[in-house]
Amino acid sequence: MEKQWDAIIIGGGIIGLACAYYLTDAGQSVLLLEKGDLGQGASTSCDDMIFLQSKKPGILLTIALESLEMYRRLEQDLPASIEFESRGGMVLIESESQMGHMQDFVRQQKALNLDVELLTKEQARKMAPLVSKHVLGSTYSPMDSQVNPLQVMRGFVKAAASKGLEIRRHCGVKALDNPAPYHWKVTADDGKVYESRFVINACGAWAAQVGELTGLELPIKPKRGQILVTESVPAFGQTNFWSADYIVMKLNPDFAKERSALMNDLGIGLSMSQAQSGNYFLGGTREFAGFDKTVDRTALHLILKEAVRFFPALEKVNIIRTFSGFRPAAADGKPFIGPVASQPGMYIAAGHEGDGIALAPITGYAISRMITGQPLPYDFSELSPARLGI
Amino acid sequence: MEELFICRCEEVTRQELEQAIADGAISMNELKRWTRAGMGLCQGKTCAKQVMALLAQKTAQSPAAVKPATTRNPVRPMQISYMTKEAE
Repeated sequence: MEKQWDAIIIGGGIIGLACAYYLTDAGQSVLLLEKGDLGQGASTSCDDMIFLQSKKPGILLTIALESLEMYRRLEQDLPASIEFESRGGMVLIESESQMGHMQDFVRQQKALNLDVELLTKEQARKMAPLVSKHVLGSTYSPMDSQVNPLQVMRGFVKAAASKGLEIRRHCGVKALDNPAPYHWKVTADDGKVYESRFVINACGAWAAQVGELTGLELPIKPKRGQILVTESVPAFGQTNFWSADYIVMKLNPDFAKERSALMNDLGIGLSMSQAQSGNYFLGGTREFAGFDKTVDRTALHLILKEAVRFFPALEKVNIIRTFSGFRPAAADGKPFIGPVASQPGMYIAAGHEGDGIALAPITGYAISRMITGQPLPYDFSELSPARLGI
Repeated sequence: MEELFICRCEEVTRQELEQAIADGAISMNELKRWTRAGMGLCQGKTCAKQVMALLAQKTAQSPAAVKPATTRNPVRPMQISYMTKEAE
């Protein structure tokens, strides 16, 4: 008889690998199936930020804060340096109306224990001497952090493999059968059948397609995120940076009127973070473009114009690479982390949109606790597929 | 042996590449992502063949069977001022 695994994880991005890490750590036998290379959908084509200031106060900010603490421990525990660093973040404010919205937002976040404050123009320039003179001020949080997702995945793979994780790459799934509760038969593209008690759909932007194999309608769509990478340069300031206009628009959709239609269609909001290697990631877009992975000149030009508006000295810096990844966007903006009530043994860990890196540890940990029947540190019902009747 | 640099831009040694393969990297993309070999200014134009040969050798594949890492624009480093001008 074929081996029966405790859990089969479908999807080898950072979420699937985090699930594999915490499940093998809890003594479970785990097989992971990935249809391409590890992380090829989004986790290797993204930036490196754990950006707390963009989170709306609520469950997402709460678990993002927890995930941050988990990364601190992973830096010690994983057999690879994950380049975790709390460099802090500034949201750059250009107008009085942005200032008003950001003041409100900062007040709400402070109430949830996020260490964040507003800086005056002078204070902001002190932290970021190269910022354009038109910037009126900024927020600042010393808690915004970053991590190298590539090294996190490497660490998860190595640590989980030492505890029995098996990985099949270039191995998609074409059928999922459930002959009895907690008995799953997973048929791979090559016709091989693997059996397990639990299946975890960690397929990111492809989660809906895999969900369809058991008749689920998961409202998760790919949102393309385009990013440019600069050559390695000295820092433009002490922290990483974001523009306030995109954040304000997310909080208050009326604000979209102050931006061009093209900027809104492409979902452009400047983010600028520097990897430990010295390269800056300049992002990004959030656009519905199906599974088209091309980068588009119009979008790249607009991102660069934003970047140069805030940091004129960037003009002389070279771009060495551009790429895009598919952020798995859930219909209501929140990831699915939990069981499918009508299909015993089926779990979803997908739909994190731009927060996959930030939320990977807490997602993997929560899924592992759910599957092994252990208590959870937070109430995850708001993220359960059941919230949308799934 | 550990002082032998394979990727000159990112200063990645042969030993680091071998360690990544031992850790489970099986493709050029994974090897690049785990070590930074090919992530620098030249984007692997200088070292890709050496890295491919090493990967082929260590994973007992024929060099022809090793797929190159994904390439992306721009082909050469391009100053941002040119790219913003082009938009106008």
